Amino acid sequence: MRVSAGTELPVFEVGEVRAAAMKTMAVLLRDPNPIHFDPDVVAALGMGVRVINQGPTNMAYVVNMLVAWAGDTARIRALKVRFLDNVRAGDRVVAGGVVTSVAGEGRHRIAECDVWLDVVGGPRALAGSATVAVETGEAAGETPAK
Amino acid sequence: MNQPMTIDDLERLVGVEFPVGEFTIEGYEHWLTTDAIGSPPLPDDVAHPMYAYYAALGGMGLTLDELFAMVGSAAADGPMFGEAGLEFREVMRVGETYRVEGRITGVARKTGKRAGVFDIVSFELRVVDSSGAVAAVSTNSFVFPRRTA
Repeated sequence: MRVSAGTELPVFEVGEVRAAAMKTMAVLLRDPNPIHFDPDVVAALGMGVRVINQGPTNMAYVVNMLVAWAGDTARIRALKVRFLDNVRAGDRVVAGGVVTSVAGEGRHRIAECDVWLDVVGGPRALAGSATVAVETGEAAGETPAK
Repeated sequence: MNQPMTIDDLERLVGVEFPVGEFTIEGYEHWLTTDAIGSPPLPDDVAHPMYAYYAALGGMGLTLDELFAMVGSAAADGPMFGEAGLEFREVMRVGETYRVEGRITGVARKTGKRAGVFDIVSFELRVVDSSGAVAAVSTNSFVFPRRTA
């Protein structure tokens, strides 16, 4: 695989966002917001009937995509996101991205990427940009991911 | 709604340092976290990169309620997450303890047609390893409704 502007990153898919995982993360993050674990509160707030995923977990799905693509956590240099919409229990989500530029000389180069997280059949939940180090191949302007 | 702050009051907070805190990446918490977020397999002692965020927010030297109070707000006022940025400088390790330093980096007051007056407060958290090297930087912003500003 080679990397250049326009290269699409392999998607990372979560087949079903689990309410149980939200409960685990609520404890680990010491996040008392009941919209992550109590569907009655979600309903009372007029936000539907399904509990709402933590924003950082949505961000983590994008990081998972970058880790799987880069093959080494050390190659992920930066990530910036805006939270656009909610992900709910039972949703299927897909993290994706595309390389917008590759900069630098020699063997080690830096790829700038647009990244996102989409709810399948629903809204874009998150959008942003990522910076990932990639190793170059011999061909000028093209770079193998690993 | 807590006491409203003037924009001058808020601007004086830029540069104010948070108390220093710390965060240890416990092995069992890391296991549970990577399971919950569906992480790809990682080498044994390598922490998931999201620990740049989890350690920063979990280890910062004041609670979110204290941060909200600092800018004249409270959780009940409905502050919302704006943007989040992570800079990964070193691979973080399971079992390591990190120092977390933080400061407010920016404030802005805006008016929206539907939202009315709101403030955006940005802050930066630096996650520092035991050698003194910055392993990660987490930048975040919260949006605070200011119905009485």
